[in-house]
Amino acid sequence: MNVLKVPKHAIGIFILPALLLYICIVFVPILYSFYVGTLDWNGYGVSKFVGFDNYHKLLFDDPYFWPAVRRTFLYAAASMIEIPFCLMMAVLLNRYVRKANTLVSIYFTPVILSVVIIGQLWKTIYNPTSMGGMLNQALISVGLESWAHTWLAEPKIAIYCIYFVSLWQYFGYHLLIQFTGVQNIPSEIYEAAKIDGAEGFKADRYITFPMIVPIFKISLVLAFIGSLQSFDMVWVMTGGGPAHATDVLATYMYTQSFNSQEFGYGSALASLLVVLCLVFTVVINTVMNRIDKRFS
Amino acid sequence: MDSKSKKALTIAVAGALTLSLAACGSNNNNNSGASADASAPASSPAGPASSNSGEKVTLTFQNIYVDPNTPTYKTAHQIVEAYEKEHPNIHIEFDSLNTDQQKQKLKVQANSKEIPDITMVNPAAQMKPFVDADLFVPLNDMLDQNGLKDTYQSGLLDYYSFDGNVYALPDGNNIEVVYYNKDLFAQAGISAPPATFEELLADVKALKDKGIIPMAIGEKDTWTGSFIFMNIVLRTYGPGFLSDVAAGKTTFEDPAFIEAVDRFQDLIQAGAFEEGATAVDADSGRNLFTTGKAAMYMLGSWETGSIDASSVGPSVAAFQFPTVNGKGDINQFMLAPGTGYAIAANSKHIQEAKDFLNYYCLNFPKAQFDNKNAVGLPQKVDGDMKAAGYSDLAISVMDLFGKVNGGDIAFDNTMNPAVAQAHLTSLQNLFVQKVDSAQVAKEHQTAYEANKDQ
Repeated sequence: MNVLKVPKHAIGIFILPALLLYICIVFVPILYSFYVGTLDWNGYGVSKFVGFDNYHKLLFDDPYFWPAVRRTFLYAAASMIEIPFCLMMAVLLNRYVRKANTLVSIYFTPVILSVVIIGQLWKTIYNPTSMGGMLNQALISVGLESWAHTWLAEPKIAIYCIYFVSLWQYFGYHLLIQFTGVQNIPSEIYEAAKIDGAEGFKADRYITFPMIVPIFKISLVLAFIGSLQSFDMVWVMTGGGPAHATDVLATYMYTQSFNSQEFGYGSALASLLVVLCLVFTVVINTVMNRIDKRFS
Repeated sequence: MDSKSKKALTIAVAGALTLSLAACGSNNNNNSGASADASAPASSPAGPASSNSGEKVTLTFQNIYVDPNTPTYKTAHQIVEAYEKEHPNIHIEFDSLNTDQQKQKLKVQANSKEIPDITMVNPAAQMKPFVDADLFVPLNDMLDQNGLKDTYQSGLLDYYSFDGNVYALPDGNNIEVVYYNKDLFAQAGISAPPATFEELLADVKALKDKGIIPMAIGEKDTWTGSFIFMNIVLRTYGPGFLSDVAAGKTTFEDPAFIEAVDRFQDLIQAGAFEEGATAVDADSGRNLFTTGKAAMYMLGSWETGSIDASSVGPSVAAFQFPTVNGKGDINQFMLAPGTGYAIAANSKHIQEAKDFLNYYCLNFPKAQFDNKNAVGLPQKVDGDMKAAGYSDLAISVMDLFGKVNGGDIAFDNTMNPAVAQAHLTSLQNLFVQKVDSAQVAKEHQTAYEANKDQ
């Protein structure tokens, strides 16, 4: 601090604007939704203070809440598991493909398309056989009739179909991030390693992986946060149905707040989502720091 | 920069930020002041004081007419254009959204008391919370102007009235009918529309054997299934089931309700609806029918116009929902009083909005008639439909209106939103698995008891 030769109060003053803004647009709304969570309120009419009733009902009496939590975190897990594959692909592209940029751009295309378009597209692919669904047609043409399903209308499999589309869409995004990371590793290092006899997988193990950890971390965090907030894809494809079987936290919150007009209940749900996010962000950070230490 | 001006600048910046923070805070107070009226912007509901002088006024008109090809869209725009010509100082700005989006947007706007000058709401239970929160202006005085009140069908405005005040004026009044494609029926060897539920099931089977989708539905939107189901309840119980439940005269575990769930499951299990119906939205559902892939389509008579305009139009006719187990009167219909125009209490131009809405509603029936959309009008209109070139389908649906001998309104117009949501979920579930009907009834009763005092 003293190096800067700036008085402490000046530092405080310069931090203050950003801090105030941050408190105003982040903390105040969060606290406010905690407060609304204690109300029995439809969003615009008369409200009634009910203490922790909403939270209690949510945690212990709501048959749809925990399944929605499970689906949300399963989705988060799936999108994080996808990242190593993106990295592998990036390494392969970097090593074996000349002018890989074109390919990477192609993989990236789904990301720039609107979720609504992607959702509608995959909805037609997933259509039941009687409505000409492409996936079922393909299965039937290779003799796998028994594998055909009404993909988005079967409570047990519908959510996985939606996961798949999301993973497909964001594959290119994470691939691009990893690819850029891999390209930024100086080639001299590989050349030096080659002289020492490390090539191929061995070089990856001792050079690429340790050096890409920071980039890898960014991808993981992005994937995690993105999937906790996931709403649009589910909303477009199934609307959370059939009978809440594909609800994730965000869609369930929306249904409760606006369709059932239980704004207080929806806010309680939102606050729990915040808590869950905080807890898991801490967990991820801890794990990441461990990995960081191991490789450095 | 010398230290003095540095200090001045810091103070200025800090001051500005404190102000913005204060603004934030007060906003929040507004929201949390949900106990409403205290923080509601001052506005005098009955204020004929504001003049019609040359002052420029912009009114926002939120509505659910998004598709320029539909007659109602044309009607709304024609009337607004004519009004703006007569009143050069008034500008009407359209805020058009599709039905579901408009519903959500209005709720968000209601939350912050920023309802557009003129908006649209659904009748009865769906608009009650808005009225309870004093968000709309009573329209009684405006209804008396130019004899507007007498143009409405008798009893219709009751769905929009609370404590003797009318808060919205409907854009339609519809009944639920079953549209069917005569060509597809003939292909399946069916000569006449079904008169009993058993015949309906037999027809479903005959159509299915020919590879035709018996009945199209967009069950992703959930209310579509409920609308069909409630027609079965109307047959097994008779009219007034939901109001009897609300009055404590019966419960959802009434045998008639359970019987209705059974019959509805029979229909689903017979394969009446397209595969994967829960992922099909309302528009795609309609498309299955209007492209000739499905033989039946059961919905409100408001669909008549768009079916007429589609390629299957000439071969479509409509029939009344049949009796169930010999019960019910086929002249009792599911009634669908339309979405109503309401004026926001927070509007700065209440008088201008009332004047405009009066003009709009007076001209509405004639303009709708001329735009070939006379089916399901809320108001009386003179005109010979045949001479005006209406289709046989439109005329036959109009004839069904003449047969109406009471009925019920939709579930979500009768019960509060939380109960309605539980009902819609419970019914959507029937589309993907067979459930014990007594269990369905119990789910309804539990949800009703948990939410009834709202």
